[in-house]
Amino acid sequence: MHNSDKFNIPLGPQHPALKEPEGFSVALKGEKIMGMDIRLGYNHRGIEKACEERTYIQDLYLIERVCGICSHSHSTCFVQAVEEIAGVQVPKRALYIRTLIAELERVHSHLLWLGVAGHEIGFDTLLMYTWRDREIVMDILALLTGNRVNYGINTIGGVRRDISPKQIEEVYKGIKTLEERTRYYIEVATQETTIIKRLSGVGVLSREDALRLDAVGPTARASGVNRDVRRDDPYAAYAEIKFNVITDDHNDVYGRTVVRVKELMESYAIVKQCLKDLPEGPITVKVPRKIPAGEATSRYEAPRGEDLHYVKSNGTEKPERVKVRAPTLANIQAVKHMLKDRYLADMPIVIAAIDPCFSCTDRLVYLSHCEPPKGVKQSQKRDCFASLAMTSRFKNAKVMSWEALRTYSIEWHRVHGIDFSELNNTFRKRLEKR
Amino acid sequence: MLNSLFFILVFPGFLFVSFFGLVAEYVDRKIYARLQNRVGPPWFQTFADFIKLLGKEDIVPCEANARMFGLAPIFALSAVVTVFLYIPIWRYDAAFSFNGDIIMALYLLTIPTLAFFIGGWYSTSLFARLGSVRCVTQLFAYEVPLFMSILSAALLANSWSLRDIANFYSLRPAYCLFNLLGFAVSMVALLGKLEKAPFDIPEAETEIVAGAFTEYSGRLLALLRLAIDIEMVVGAALFVAVFFPFALALGAALGFIVFIIEVLAVVALLSLMRTVVARLRIDQMIDFCWKYLVPLALLQLLINLILKGVLV
Amino acid sequence: MSKEEDIIQELINKFGYLEGAVKVQRPRRILLEIDYKNFREVFAFAVKELKFGHFCTITGLDEQDNLSFIYHLAQDSGILFNLKTSVSKANPVLETVIPFFPGAEIYEREVVDLFGAKVVGLPAGNRYPLTDDWPAGQYPLRKDWKQH
Repeated sequence: MHNSDKFNIPLGPQHPALKEPEGFSVALKGEKIMGMDIRLGYNHRGIEKACEERTYIQDLYLIERVCGICSHSHSTCFVQAVEEIAGVQVPKRALYIRTLIAELERVHSHLLWLGVAGHEIGFDTLLMYTWRDREIVMDILALLTGNRVNYGINTIGGVRRDISPKQIEEVYKGIKTLEERTRYYIEVATQETTIIKRLSGVGVLSREDALRLDAVGPTARASGVNRDVRRDDPYAAYAEIKFNVITDDHNDVYGRTVVRVKELMESYAIVKQCLKDLPEGPITVKVPRKIPAGEATSRYEAPRGEDLHYVKSNGTEKPERVKVRAPTLANIQAVKHMLKDRYLADMPIVIAAIDPCFSCTDRLVYLSHCEPPKGVKQSQKRDCFASLAMTSRFKNAKVMSWEALRTYSIEWHRVHGIDFSELNNTFRKRLEKR
Repeated sequence: MLNSLFFILVFPGFLFVSFFGLVAEYVDRKIYARLQNRVGPPWFQTFADFIKLLGKEDIVPCEANARMFGLAPIFALSAVVTVFLYIPIWRYDAAFSFNGDIIMALYLLTIPTLAFFIGGWYSTSLFARLGSVRCVTQLFAYEVPLFMSILSAALLANSWSLRDIANFYSLRPAYCLFNLLGFAVSMVALLGKLEKAPFDIPEAETEIVAGAFTEYSGRLLALLRLAIDIEMVVGAALFVAVFFPFALALGAALGFIVFIIEVLAVVALLSLMRTVVARLRIDQMIDFCWKYLVPLALLQLLINLILKGVLV
Repeated sequence: MSKEEDIIQELINKFGYLEGAVKVQRPRRILLEIDYKNFREVFAFAVKELKFGHFCTITGLDEQDNLSFIYHLAQDSGILFNLKTSVSKANPVLETVIPFFPGAEIYEREVVDLFGAKVVGLPAGNRYPLTDDWPAGQYPLRKDWKQH
């Protein structure tokens, strides 16, 4: 096809490989990637601005919704910054519970990643197995916090729920099963021929490049960069917990897989330590609603890498400024580098290998109303589509508004014997009754 | 005349093979699901899918060549249905037969791939075009070992007619053992033909959405999917006829049942194979076919040539 | 002397005018507020000599007449160096730090879009994170910006 020329194919904003909208435009020559262009920002929701208009407690819940997967990471990171400004000493038990939830979250995130990685390379069986087992850790999280995601366990000055001995039993039981299963996945992911063929040598990021491009988390650690905020800049209870920082020097997607599956085992060990050493005492201290003026930067090792929050307070009950830097934003730079001269087929797994979370990456600013840029009117835009339709073979083609399209669809189905109007009426009546 | 029409349209032709194809798809999906620890679809799911698709609106992209776009699924469907008529299923006789029909069957089985290529190419979507090119690239890799291993079985039977080959092996069941290597090679090649993992490269959804089928919808998509299902059944039936035609000696009723079971067993084997592997890249796939499958097929050919000298 | 104090001492030895401007916020956090005219040399010194090899992000702040930017630099020892500098809101011109950290590109685009900073030396490319049809001159994270 297009023998001499490169051609561009769009991966996204909507594409089966991406679980969230982000635009990658890839210039291809045959199957080879000659260049690419990344457009981020489709998930921009205005969280940073919204934080400035809410109280700290409200912000805590808003921040938790920066991301669905690493919600505890963001809320802990935020709450640490606020506690630092307020000069609060958080009770030990609360710190341990935070650590416990953090590691359980890491387990669920890494299992999720393993499944997604399997799916991206067309190995759906791995997806089904890991996601089945992910349910175990989701159930544990629901047991401890009341929620499967967005746990809402943190509060300024501690945590909101205590852990009972009975719950601890349940966690031990679940972790034991997960350990067994994870050993099996380590075996599968590191020994199955087709998996190795698809993973090793793909998405290479040398140690120098990882350092140069400021990669974080498992992406950096798989390139031999020994960096982990949990150890380097300990927070919560990590200073008192023994664990290994997993690194690997494969530098490729295979290495990133190895790092993540091994981190799973480390996380199980940390969870067990937390439960064993869980100190007695209160789980929260009282913090005034107004936080004194000050600023703090908080770092946190999220499952995807270093998460950084900056909070500035002005002495009122609302923060002056909240800044969120999610790990994906740090790693997305490296993706471009990894994909140079690779095949299109490698693209989904290379993107997936940094475990991207685009809703973390884009936050801030929402608009309820936006003027089109000067010179282009909404009606003109529609006109150019209309003229396109007129030039094509379909002379009777027309551009419809959403409402017209909806009516057309209902009519089309009615002609073909499927009539929803009866159903619609029933629902309307039911609604009216309420 | 009426007899032929019955053969073509009802049994073992269009109606029967469509039904059988949908059943086989159900078996494939159910086994795939169970192996993945899922519940899987209910028995009528494939029929429901098919009927639902038939009821949907056909959307032909503005830019597409509407004629080729519309004809491609019909090409594919008619080619695979025709092949089934030449496969001996319940007696020593197939619905139609002539000396050389095995060659024709193999070539007709190539038509769907070409039809996917044409459909994808003329739909002008970038994903579809990439998918079609992958379809054809892949074709050159798996076709050679597939042909060689099936034809080496024919070589031993000393005939180019499917009926005679089936006859030959059903009278000498032990000879089937010689072709086991060829059977293994053709099973792997069939995965490529059916575009199933690890060779589902032309429709790798995480890369190119649905490949050649990206722009298809409604009835045309239903026909395409039916063609793929039938291709699976026909491929499996061809293997049964060439490699394990034991059913023929068992009489009409029992023979037919055994034949169906054998075909479904081949389908089950295919689903098992696709459960345990990841998708390869197109270059890896071609490497694999030429480095491993072709030499193995050649080995099978050599074995059968020697056997032919010794035994026959 | 702690590591943090060592670093501060080194900074003061090199740049005498930093006396008093640099402080330890808490263990592993160093804050330095600095004029933009001196920013570049201190930044280069921190990266090259003090081994702050990991660039975390840039935080923008709206401080009425000025826009402040905090460059968060991390060391492998876990120390975070917050280098804070201000430019006037009327003409917020920054020089890019891409020569030090190629990965800084996206953070600079972010302060361009959200604070209206003008970054000299930033290569052409897609904007981030606002949409392409975002009206010009609207910088949502500035304090005077209100939702429509």
